[in-house]
Amino acid sequence: MLWFEREVVGALTESPDQPLRSSVESFVDGSLRDMPEHLRAGVAAESVLLGTYVAALRRAGRLPEGDAQALAAQLDRWEVSRIGVLRQYVRMMKSLVYFAENELAPAGAA
Amino acid sequence: MADLATDVLVVGSGAGGAITAAALARGGRTVTVVEEGPWVDPDAVEPFSLQEMEAKYRHHGLAAALGNPAIAYAEGRCVGGSTEINSGLYHRLPDHLVAEWRTAYAIDEFSPEALGGYADRVEHELSVAPLPGAPPPSSAALERGATKLGWRNVEFARVFSYDAQGRGTKQTMSRTMIPQARAAGARIISDCRVLRLLREGDRIVGARCRRTHSGGGVERMTIHADQVFVCGGAIHSPALLQRSGIWRNVGNGLKMHPTIKLAARFPHPVDHGDVPTHRITEFSPFVAIGGSANRKGHVAMALADTGAPFAEALADWENISVYYAAIRSDGSGRVAALRGVRSPLVTYSLTEADVSRLARGLVHLGELLLAGGATELHPSVVGGTVVRRLDELGGWWDQVTRARANLMTVHLTSSVRMGEHRARTGADSFGRVWGYSNLRVNDASLIPDAPGVNPQAAIMAIATRNCDHFLDVT
Repeated sequence: MLWFEREVVGALTESPDQPLRSSVESFVDGSLRDMPEHLRAGVAAESVLLGTYVAALRRAGRLPEGDAQALAAQLDRWEVSRIGVLRQYVRMMKSLVYFAENELAPAGAA
Repeated sequence: MADLATDVLVVGSGAGGAITAAALARGGRTVTVVEEGPWVDPDAVEPFSLQEMEAKYRHHGLAAALGNPAIAYAEGRCVGGSTEINSGLYHRLPDHLVAEWRTAYAIDEFSPEALGGYADRVEHELSVAPLPGAPPPSSAALERGATKLGWRNVEFARVFSYDAQGRGTKQTMSRTMIPQARAAGARIISDCRVLRLLREGDRIVGARCRRTHSGGGVERMTIHADQVFVCGGAIHSPALLQRSGIWRNVGNGLKMHPTIKLAARFPHPVDHGDVPTHRITEFSPFVAIGGSANRKGHVAMALADTGAPFAEALADWENISVYYAAIRSDGSGRVAALRGVRSPLVTYSLTEADVSRLARGLVHLGELLLAGGATELHPSVVGGTVVRRLDELGGWWDQVTRARANLMTVHLTSSVRMGEHRARTGADSFGRVWGYSNLRVNDASLIPDAPGVNPQAAIMAIATRNCDHFLDVT
């Protein structure tokens, strides 16, 4: 899992529970590793490009450093982008995280 | 490198492969089944759970046909194949499609009566039965809505056996045909990927394989065979043929049922352990409406698709169920093995008519669920309107676009079509691959087009028919 992917998973995971957050990250990591290679290569390339873009935004002071909510808001903007692969990137990461977080949370947890 | 010899090599152990193995082993042939995935105890993980995705799904369920839009798809990768992960719904191939395909593809001995006889056998062997007792709330909502609107609906039978208390056990291949094949002498080799088939002239003489052992060790194997049946499903059967240098009408013409979902909220709790068994057939064969897996994780994914905040709805997840509209598509796709890459490239092109049909399906689904008692509908459409009243549904017509709809499928067919029409098919009327005397395909790849219903019954009936023919002629 690339550093930006880890950051995206962290921004999308709502629970503060650290073991649960780690389990979600581990599931997403396993899923990305198991993707068809050509799809994984495309996702990895996007992660590098988007991570670089986000780093540039942070350097320019347009995105607060270490602010998960700000990154989540940026992901929401990308989800309605006119660029198809960008939309699909966000939908895939959200699907993985939301599925894992809700399946892995202990029964009865909020 | 290990060497094995067998009369018949069956590649894949799903609905096509397991039925092939059992039929041929019972017919007196020495059969070896090679399955790429692991053996997983069918009771080891909960249906539709995250653990099931990790244990039994290919790519953790994270594969997609590229196109505009990309369409996610899921397949099983374990002994028993996709029968281990599907809902077990069973629907015979509609008679009018059998007649249509027989003519269009010049398929010999392919009639509703003949296939019906094979379906009878499958149903008897596997125990195909309707759910006993009253339908669960998620399914009852479909029935109630259809009744109120005067739409045709059916409670589908499933490949399930039920005990006296009504508890059902899905009759997956690992519970049924695989044990039967074993009992008749078949050998099952799991964790073994066929890299390519070995050709000599117009014959396949064996397969080069790579087997992974539980400790992580890898063993190269060559399996010598007199006859080979490729049953890896509509993606991996054509990919294996292509890796082996067989390309003629192989991998093109892939069909699927593109599917759009929504999450429906009710004023009462609904069930979450299984899928609804009612289906709306009012718009068949072009639009099918039904219910989907709806564990909390599935509900969260469906609620998230609009992009609107969904925490309040998710807190009420026990009152929410996930439903779908699936279409018969005019579009088609392609499977292409890439040199040096393990997974094939899969593409699919939706037509404008398909997109329109998906919008129509979603609107009908919304009408149905509001009539069935739902109070809030969250479509799998980015920016889609969360609907609470009938007059709000009209907005979905314009919102279901290539850019905004989130699509998936679990039904893939037609990548090595069967028939005597050589320009349109990759295999003859009984699955023998053109140009090869002892190579056959026997799975969803052969079905000439998407059937508009769950294809499991069609796969099983056609596989049984092809095995009978094989035993007659060899």
